Amino acid sequence: MTGAALADTREGTPDTLPAPETPAKPPGLGELITPIRGRLTAAILAQAAAAVCSMIPFIAVAELARALLAPGGPDEGRAWAAAWTAVGALVARLVLYAAAGILTHHADADFQLDLRRRLARHLGRVPLGWFTDNSSGEVKKAAADDISTLHHLVAHTALEVTAALVAPLTALVYLLAVDWRLALVALLPLVIGAYFLKQAMSGGEEVTARFFGSMGAVNSAVVELVHGISVIKAYGRTSRAHRAYDDAADSFSVFFRDWIMSTTRASTSAALALSGPAALLLATATGTLFVTQGWADAVDLVPFVLLGPAITGSVMGLAQSGHAVQGGLQSARQIHALLAVPPLPEATEPTAPGEDGGRVELEGLSFSYDGVTEVLRDIDLTLRPGTVTALVGASGSGKSTLARLVPRFWDTTAGTVRIGGTDVRDIAPADLYRQVSFVFQDPHLLRTTVRDNIRLGRPDADDTAVERAAHAAHIHERITALPRGYDSVIGEDAVLSGGESQRLSVARALLADAPVLVLDEATSFADPESEAAVQQALSALAAGRTLLVIAHRLATVRDADHIAVLDGGRIAEQGTHDELLTLDGRYARMWALQKKGGA
Amino acid sequence: MTALLIRVLGREQTDRLRRVLLWAALAAVLQGVAYALLVPLLTRLLGNDPADAWPWVGALAMATAVYGAVAFAATVRGNRFSAELGRHLHRRIGDHVVALPLGWFGGERTGALGQLAGQGVVQVMNAAANLLRPLCNAFVTPAVVVLAMFAFDWRLALAMLVAAPVAAGAYRWSGRLIGRVDRQSHAASVETADRLVEFARHQPALRAFGRTAEDHELLDAALREQRAKARAAVRIGVPGIAGFALAVQLCFTCVLILGTVLAVDGSVGAGELIAVLVLAVRFVEPMGAAAELGGSLRIARGTLERLEGVLASDPLPQPAIEGPLPETYGVELDGVSFGYDDERMVLDGFDLCVPAGHTVALVGPSGSGKTTVTRLIARFWDVGAGTVRVGGTDVRDLTTEQLMSRLAMVFQDVYLFEGSIEDNIRAGREDATDEEVRAAGRLARVDEIAERLPDGWAARVGEGGTALSGGERQRISIARALLKQSPVVLLDEATSALDAENEAAVQQALAALTADRTVLVVAHRLDTIRGADLIAFLDGGRVVEQGTHEELLALGGRYQEFWREREGARGWRLAARS
Repeated sequence: MTGAALADTREGTPDTLPAPETPAKPPGLGELITPIRGRLTAAILAQAAAAVCSMIPFIAVAELARALLAPGGPDEGRAWAAAWTAVGALVARLVLYAAAGILTHHADADFQLDLRRRLARHLGRVPLGWFTDNSSGEVKKAAADDISTLHHLVAHTALEVTAALVAPLTALVYLLAVDWRLALVALLPLVIGAYFLKQAMSGGEEVTARFFGSMGAVNSAVVELVHGISVIKAYGRTSRAHRAYDDAADSFSVFFRDWIMSTTRASTSAALALSGPAALLLATATGTLFVTQGWADAVDLVPFVLLGPAITGSVMGLAQSGHAVQGGLQSARQIHALLAVPPLPEATEPTAPGEDGGRVELEGLSFSYDGVTEVLRDIDLTLRPGTVTALVGASGSGKSTLARLVPRFWDTTAGTVRIGGTDVRDIAPADLYRQVSFVFQDPHLLRTTVRDNIRLGRPDADDTAVERAAHAAHIHERITALPRGYDSVIGEDAVLSGGESQRLSVARALLADAPVLVLDEATSFADPESEAAVQQALSALAAGRTLLVIAHRLATVRDADHIAVLDGGRIAEQGTHDELLTLDGRYARMWALQKKGGA
Repeated sequence: MTALLIRVLGREQTDRLRRVLLWAALAAVLQGVAYALLVPLLTRLLGNDPADAWPWVGALAMATAVYGAVAFAATVRGNRFSAELGRHLHRRIGDHVVALPLGWFGGERTGALGQLAGQGVVQVMNAAANLLRPLCNAFVTPAVVVLAMFAFDWRLALAMLVAAPVAAGAYRWSGRLIGRVDRQSHAASVETADRLVEFARHQPALRAFGRTAEDHELLDAALREQRAKARAAVRIGVPGIAGFALAVQLCFTCVLILGTVLAVDGSVGAGELIAVLVLAVRFVEPMGAAAELGGSLRIARGTLERLEGVLASDPLPQPAIEGPLPETYGVELDGVSFGYDDERMVLDGFDLCVPAGHTVALVGPSGSGKTTVTRLIARFWDVGAGTVRVGGTDVRDLTTEQLMSRLAMVFQDVYLFEGSIEDNIRAGREDATDEEVRAAGRLARVDEIAERLPDGWAARVGEGGTALSGGERQRISIARALLKQSPVVLLDEATSALDAENEAAVQQALAALTADRTVLVVAHRLDTIRGADLIAFLDGGRVVEQGTHEELLALGGRYQEFWREREGARGWRLAARS
């Protein structure tokens, strides 16, 4: 065993999760496993009993030796009793051991389900602002990988540690009873082994950090080589990028060798001190000395030869379990960090949206993602039922953020958003989503049937309603041409182009039939060839609703009832197309640029 | 397994592995010898004159010392091999990967490859450093013990061996069961991970349509399935594990019972029996360890198999001798057929000629093969039939460097290296002067980006260019292509709309890039299409119409229909009262 066991490659990615707010104590595993604590305890008890049983055959053989070597000739009855005790203990051990394993694995299966559900529930309530580009990676890491790491801890390590402690202790107690002097000698390898192990692990954290640093360099070189390959080849940088990668690989190899070799002497010494031959040599050498000097009976040596290696053998296993525990605790911390992301507060006494559910008012609204930089400032805007309001402006001017405040993807820093006269924070989430629907630039299709994708917002909608929505979104014919029609699964037998996916998402919004609709760059086309069809679908969707639309192409929204031009988080200008042109300001400049560009 | 190792590691490393294994096996043999010495030692110790045991204690001490020395040497060799193996595997992957056709690198493959070259290699290294010796101990030591047993008492040795085939059978059976369980659990956890990522990624839509975690049946079903699979794993796996443990115990039990019978009737000395039983324990223990090693072994094997998958993909064939560079800059596709898989041809008898200095626009419905055409010219893949020629030379007769020196590509997915803006532009031509880099930057209007950022031209772009907006990344990639000054430009026009200012800047940059070059553009913008010297309308993997804008409109065919629709779409306005 060498330090390489440390090379647990599930490296801690840079911790981008917000730290839990003022943790009273570092959250550990304890709280997470509360629901299965009872079963875990039972399993550990069963395992402890199994560990005791595993030592009984050795003791029985020692007793067998006593019976056979009895001064008055072999005591047949005692011999058979010892032999059958050994067999019985082996069977009992197996049964208990299996029971412990089954208990922890079942408990762990429930634990994983429970914890993943808990995480998913929590994620469903944190502000959408938390979900950034890399957050799906974080979610996967916490909810899939970290929980799987805990699996090892819950289902295996707890039992391994129990066995590794109880078995040698049982052996030690028995040996002390047989001959305390020999028992103390048998502990000697433990002391030597512990000394070397400590040496082997010294500077562990710093070296581990360097290990991950070096491995990170290889990973970056791989990523650069693989993701940048088309650029690398296109610009004839192959040899250079290749060299950088080779260099990283070489220095990793050198580092790995130096690291592993620096601990080889100590860790191998520990392994040898704790090995079977060493323990046996010690037991037989001291034993022979004791017997020849008449300090002990020869038959009393037998237990030491049998049990001596059992005392020392489990220590190496314990050292390994230590790594697993560390990894598990690290994972538990990650999961806690995720659970500590504050959710959006829910209204304690929710109010229904007012009579005029299609009216949206944004008043004195400011917003900041990080509490430092204001993304939106002093926004006043009213969306009237049956009208189109367009948000235009450069990238980063805050258009998308503003649009997303309407369905309360975040809470405002200052000011209010009211729908039908009611503050969105006072509306129950379910009611709010019935009022506001959203069509995104990304169609957000789920890997399930086309039908279920369309009725995402109204799971109880019947087939007629689904098909009506698909018709209106100009996608029905395409769906019926799919191998299994509405039962085709997105990404499996329903492979749709960008424009088709967009129309499907429009059908979804049509079916949800909310009075307020936000189109976030839905007019920017992934697939120019089906532009016209998407437009018809959007026109169908827009009819008769309160519409808030974000558009890059100004021509699309020139007929809007109201256009708000955002600049640096403020509304710089607002009015109709003609009014804004007369103003000859930002909007007029943008219009001129686009006219010239001919987009 | 050996064949797999040779394929992945290469013969030289496999030979090294064999030598390392030999040392490990030698250590295991010595361990077995040390154990075997216990029988004469204990027999004497339990006999009439315990002092007779001393020579055997000496022998055991010797054997232990030699074992220690050999074990140390074996560990050192294993560790050195492990480090060398890591370097070797990394290099092997790197050398192979750069020779693969560009088309090989797509979506999931790149992620999986990164994982394989990072974690995967370390797993194999770990196996080499930490698994080889325990593995030898698990198999070689019991074998030596059994052989020694025959020397002491053949009846007890036989009793031990009677159960050995049962144990071997149980080991294989249990391995198969666990393999099945692993595959099932793996599939379930992949599904869960996918659903979780889906849940997180589509959170805006899920929330906008009122789906919370409780209502999101797709995720919950995956989670429940994973639990069901975990429970099934216990149901299927436990009999296997328990069966093997039982079989191993059976070995010990046979010796114990037979030994007791023989000892009670006096045909075996009591001391000898006890010694043999001690030995039997040493026989059984390493076999138990074998079961625990199985898991790590399967992981290492899985990694090796995935490595094999990468190494088995065919590299792009290079010409045996480097021919002369083409001197003209036209591009021709002649009777080209190509499909990504055997089932569907993307291009089928495709002919196209881009004369030097001309601009040809490719238009047509999505899936008609437009992008594929540009990628075949850059030799992301080799054609199935027909020829692609640049400057009159078959691209397969050019080395990658030669071909690439002729081409500048601006595709939709822009990759920027970790580094500064300036570094990224300079990637277009390493020996360019600072002034040339800045000039290219100014032409592509990157100077405006540099002015905006605190570090100017030295500002870092972040890995993959994540610190910049899409339009800004495009401008930098165009500057890079400008600096390269290649005679042929392959352009895949962005479909997603940029804001007005970025759009104008990108158009200017592209105009600078394409001036006086041979240009093949997958065109979406109506102005680009109209301004091309020749328009090729693609459908079903062929050019169905070609000509100038006016000619094609006059033709009254597919292009005219396409143009009318696009013109109509451009005039579309969104209004609540439609």
